[in-house]
Amino acid sequence: MSSSPNGTGDSPSHLDALLTRMKSAASPLREVLREIHAKYASLDDGVVASYIPELAKANPAWFGISAVSVQGQSIDVGDSDQQFTIQSASKPFTFGLALEDHGREHVLSKIGVQPIGEAFNSITLDQVANRPFNPMINAGAIAAADLVHGKDYPERVTRMIEMFGRYCGRTVYVDNSVFTSERMTGHRNRAIGHLMLNFDMVSDQLDETLELYFKQCSLLVTCHDLAVMGATLANGGVNPVTGVRAIDAEYVKDLLSVMHTCGMYDYAGEWAYRIGIPAKSGVGGGIVAVIPGQGGIGTFSPKLDVKGNSVRGIKVFEELAQRFGLHVFEADDKKQSLVSQFSPPK
Amino acid sequence: MSKIVSIHSFRGGTGKSNVTANLGVTIARAGYRVGIVDTDIQSPGIHVVFHLNEDRVTRCLNDFLWGDCAIEEAAYDVTDAAIGNVADGDDRPRVFLVPASIKTNEIGRVLKEGYDVGLLNDGFKRLIQKLDLDFLLIDTHPGVNEETLLSIVISDHLLLVLRPDQQDFQGSLVTLELARRLDVNAVSLIVNKIPPGMDRAQLKTKVESIYSTDVLALLPLNFELVRMASNGLFVNRYPEHPFTRELRLVANSLTK
Repeated sequence: MSSSPNGTGDSPSHLDALLTRMKSAASPLREVLREIHAKYASLDDGVVASYIPELAKANPAWFGISAVSVQGQSIDVGDSDQQFTIQSASKPFTFGLALEDHGREHVLSKIGVQPIGEAFNSITLDQVANRPFNPMINAGAIAAADLVHGKDYPERVTRMIEMFGRYCGRTVYVDNSVFTSERMTGHRNRAIGHLMLNFDMVSDQLDETLELYFKQCSLLVTCHDLAVMGATLANGGVNPVTGVRAIDAEYVKDLLSVMHTCGMYDYAGEWAYRIGIPAKSGVGGGIVAVIPGQGGIGTFSPKLDVKGNSVRGIKVFEELAQRFGLHVFEADDKKQSLVSQFSPPK
Repeated sequence: MSKIVSIHSFRGGTGKSNVTANLGVTIARAGYRVGIVDTDIQSPGIHVVFHLNEDRVTRCLNDFLWGDCAIEEAAYDVTDAAIGNVADGDDRPRVFLVPASIKTNEIGRVLKEGYDVGLLNDGFKRLIQKLDLDFLLIDTHPGVNEETLLSIVISDHLLLVLRPDQQDFQGSLVTLELARRLDVNAVSLIVNKIPPGMDRAQLKTKVESIYSTDVLALLPLNFELVRMASNGLFVNRYPEHPFTRELRLVANSLTK
């Protein structure tokens, strides 16, 4: 199913895309992003994730910022085309696929929506219903992966990868080195899976589900992709660049809600307080954020803080939230239209 | 408040670069600091009019686009060639030129690798700021390409140069449609190379009705300009020529 962001049913033409890109190149937001990029490029705090060997190979200097509007305009600064693995930033999107495949009630019977303030890889379940607390921690993400439909494992993987492709507006691929590394070192995730299997929270296709989950985390994206993904959610589920629907509009608010409350590991509460927009981070160094009705922002910088979030990424969002009044509870007179910043002033 | 003016033509051979150079000098003579950027990277040439020789050019627009220098390092003060002596200490008038590289390898590299057009925008803004420019004139490549579209986007005023020629008429419609879709602030037309005997008033009416756009200047087919062969600036050598007078009208309109 596809539809256009402007409701015409047509995908944006090549000419429209070109003109949009030209407007973006001259936009005031580009200057702001360049300034912020320059400001934090020298920030050297944090460490590159090393819990799997492949992640440790990332260049700590990589730093990209991208923004995409609901009209499909995009601005890219720094290492915006550097590929990295999506890791946990994938979780909201697979949760969305599970919702589409099973509906809200069934999914909620398997995965809660409660922030827990514990680490992303905690081996813990809701003691009343034996569900994972939310889909943004590993337990919930594995449960969501378990819910991805398909007649067999290859079809489930294909559906999952195609879904990410709709969000990104291009074909995405698995980084096989990272996938192998994830699979070889994923004992904790297996433990989480088996605990959920014990409580019938996941099906008996656990090994396949874990493979699916490892592949999901090993998908290669750029921070431009993350921004397009965020803009797709900001645009009611329609990719504003391609005009293709990536998720039923009905479930967009489900994703944004859990991103808002649980998206940033055990920093989620503080994120909601300081920055106040739905977002999801990954230990690959990416952060995808959504400004509903306006656009998506993606950042990439591999050095992480102790909670597993990109240090520079958080700084970028703090600054943007402050400059543009992005916080969901920001007073109206301090809110600025981010969309208007994508076009040259007239 | 500085103003960015893009000078464009849909087809080559309209005299766009000569119009740009002479218009820049005409504006500067009115007491302004003017920058001219040659974004015709595939076929550069405006530097010749200003006698900016290769031995003087150590940096050019290409170097900036590859990240090898700041854009102001590629800007040359050509006031002497453009206007003549300006009293020491006077910061106006001034003319600066950012040339594009004439080296085959550099042109080939641009064609092969392309570049981030957003950088051009950054460069234009920085140039205005660093050189305290009142006007930035952008000499574009004929036809439609990314840097042309970008220059249209960021322009305060787009000047479209065309000849009284059916191909030019048709092509210019394309440019105008794009300009409108890019929400350009202001567009005007300059009709160049008008042959002797053509009814200028009738031509002006016809062109304005075709494009629903003002014609700012009607420039005659200029044999003296041809004979100069890009060796210097026409408006300096022929200050009372109809071509020069018409360019003054354009300058007046832009400096209002």
